[in-house]
Amino acid sequence: MNTTTHPDAVGRYVVHGQSHFFAIKRSEIERCGLAAARVIATFELLPGRFVLTISLMPEIAQFGPFESGVQLLGLLGTNADLSPYEATRVEALVRLFDVAAICGIDKSVLDGLAMIGKNAAEIFKGRIVWARPDAYALVAAMPGVIARRCVELGPVLGLECAAGEGMHIDGREWDISDAGGTIRLSSRAYRIQPVTDLDTGVKGHVVGLPCSCGNRDPLVVLD
Amino acid sequence: MANLLHARDINSQSYPDFLDPIETASRGYLDALQEGALVSTSAHGYRYAPLIRELWDGSGIKPSDIRSKADFQEKAPFLDKDMIRAYRDGRGDPSGGMSAAVPGETVYIGTTSGTTGDPTPVPCGRRSPSEESFARDQWYFGARPGDYMAWIMFTFRTGHRRRIMGEMGIAELLFSMSPAEMPRLCEASRIYRPTFMSIMPNPLILALEQHFERSGEDPVDVFKSYKGALFGGEPLGERLRNLTKSWGLELFENTALGDVCGASECRMRNGFHAYEDLAFIECIDPVTLEQVPDGQIGELVVTTLVDRLTPLVRYRSGDLVTIDRSPCGCGRTHARFKLLGRASDQVLVKGRSILPREVLGHVECHSETRAGLFQIIRTDREMDELALRIGYDLTRLKTDVAELHARLHDRISTAFDVPLRVELVDEQELLKLGPPHKIPRVTKQ
Repeated sequence: MNTTTHPDAVGRYVVHGQSHFFAIKRSEIERCGLAAARVIATFELLPGRFVLTISLMPEIAQFGPFESGVQLLGLLGTNADLSPYEATRVEALVRLFDVAAICGIDKSVLDGLAMIGKNAAEIFKGRIVWARPDAYALVAAMPGVIARRCVELGPVLGLECAAGEGMHIDGREWDISDAGGTIRLSSRAYRIQPVTDLDTGVKGHVVGLPCSCGNRDPLVVLD
Repeated sequence: MANLLHARDINSQSYPDFLDPIETASRGYLDALQEGALVSTSAHGYRYAPLIRELWDGSGIKPSDIRSKADFQEKAPFLDKDMIRAYRDGRGDPSGGMSAAVPGETVYIGTTSGTTGDPTPVPCGRRSPSEESFARDQWYFGARPGDYMAWIMFTFRTGHRRRIMGEMGIAELLFSMSPAEMPRLCEASRIYRPTFMSIMPNPLILALEQHFERSGEDPVDVFKSYKGALFGGEPLGERLRNLTKSWGLELFENTALGDVCGASECRMRNGFHAYEDLAFIECIDPVTLEQVPDGQIGELVVTTLVDRLTPLVRYRSGDLVTIDRSPCGCGRTHARFKLLGRASDQVLVKGRSILPREVLGHVECHSETRAGLFQIIRTDREMDELALRIGYDLTRLKTDVAELHARLHDRISTAFDVPLRVELVDEQELLKLGPPHKIPRVTKQ
């Protein structure tokens, strides 16, 4: 039996509003988890603290490595769907587990919290919140919230570290460029579905200088 | 993508019918296995889960008192969800005193759907008992290495950590639990030709129905590679079973085995299979707590035999069931159970027992209410009339609301022969009561 050319999962990425299937192996997710762990570690969370990931099931290529990084650091992961209907769960999980960090918030979740009469600023106060582009400004304006950006660049999740100088991209895994004003992506390591010069459609530029957190992986800054 | 699609072609070898030989073990072997597992589960639960220890101490029972299945059934205290919630709220313990913090074993915390309150945390390790039961079910239905399966789910159960299908050589096509995903599901089904689908609840079937009506896409072609699909979240009505059958998609119901793992029906349609090496099941009278003989209605009580992180011991599920321990025609020897409904959902109207499952068929058979969205308004367990709130689709109204009301009232009151009050509402209002895949079927107001 030969299943080495068979993926473990098929998720998706969206570019220019178009959804594309994206096949992935579990080994790829865990490999990318190392880089995610390095970014999360800059916040110096104690093992045993909770981290809430807000995503959808097809976002495995983007958020699977993040969850793997959480686990590598001895943190405990928990999840909610990216949906206004999940606002009740988001509020309950943050309250029950005193979560240290929340990754993947978007505007729909903020709207959902408002719909059920919850004050997002109070819920997120004192916590790290990685917000997607449509929610970042709102979260950053909340007093006492440690707001950081997270952005899907095709099948990759860019994630800001504690220094907040831009979104880290795993340099061992991906070649990135900003030719034409949008971030373009190619895979470097063996992948079951390689990517070559993919235009992610995300407007930004690449910073080659090391981040002040000490990480020399490339940074993406949105334009 | 073509290079990814040929793995199935090179897997020409045959596989055994069952993933694990334990599924066909003799009753004697299962009994012996359970006896040993109950002794060790009792000790583990007492040692690690504070609520279990408190309950047992309160009853004057020690793990050393449990030396056999008979000891267990005679002495072990029962546990229920209200106790877990009370412990959670009273002690500030999110797990409700049930999380056995075994160092190094807990990887993440899943949660239940939270239909009736705060979601219940479910601590999980590298592989959960639910994944084990799910893998066996998939194998039984015919998924094999090199295949694809469509996996439609919320992230709150496992996040992106599920490994079990990948480890079986089966690739998961991932979809969120949203009607908006259905066109993508159809596209993926035509590209990857998956073997199986899980989970397909009522709202997604209705979304598919609308998609096929609008797009003209041929459902038989879309689903031609499927050997079946798991249906879950709520009872399956005849209309949707027949609808999906007309698409060539055979549905199999799935339910929770008392929050310990999953249970699915097989092609014999003889009830849900309970894997008795993963869980010990009992059936009790919910009032007297006495054991109920197999074949008679009682409340399902489940004890995990394998879960070290949530050691549910004698957990009262609240499900009314009948148990059958005779071997199944599918070849498996483990017990099956038929699910009648939740004890807390049951209403007695003029002495007649009524459960949501019985109402469904009388609602979904009308075009305007084909989504089967309704609630029983249960002010008390015993009531003088059956009160129903039924959601209807404004766009499918044939004449007027009064005519629909009369049609529903006639059919339901004739079927149950009890006084009936029907309140009609826009189904969109009921859907807001979510979570999106199901609504509370019983409400106090």
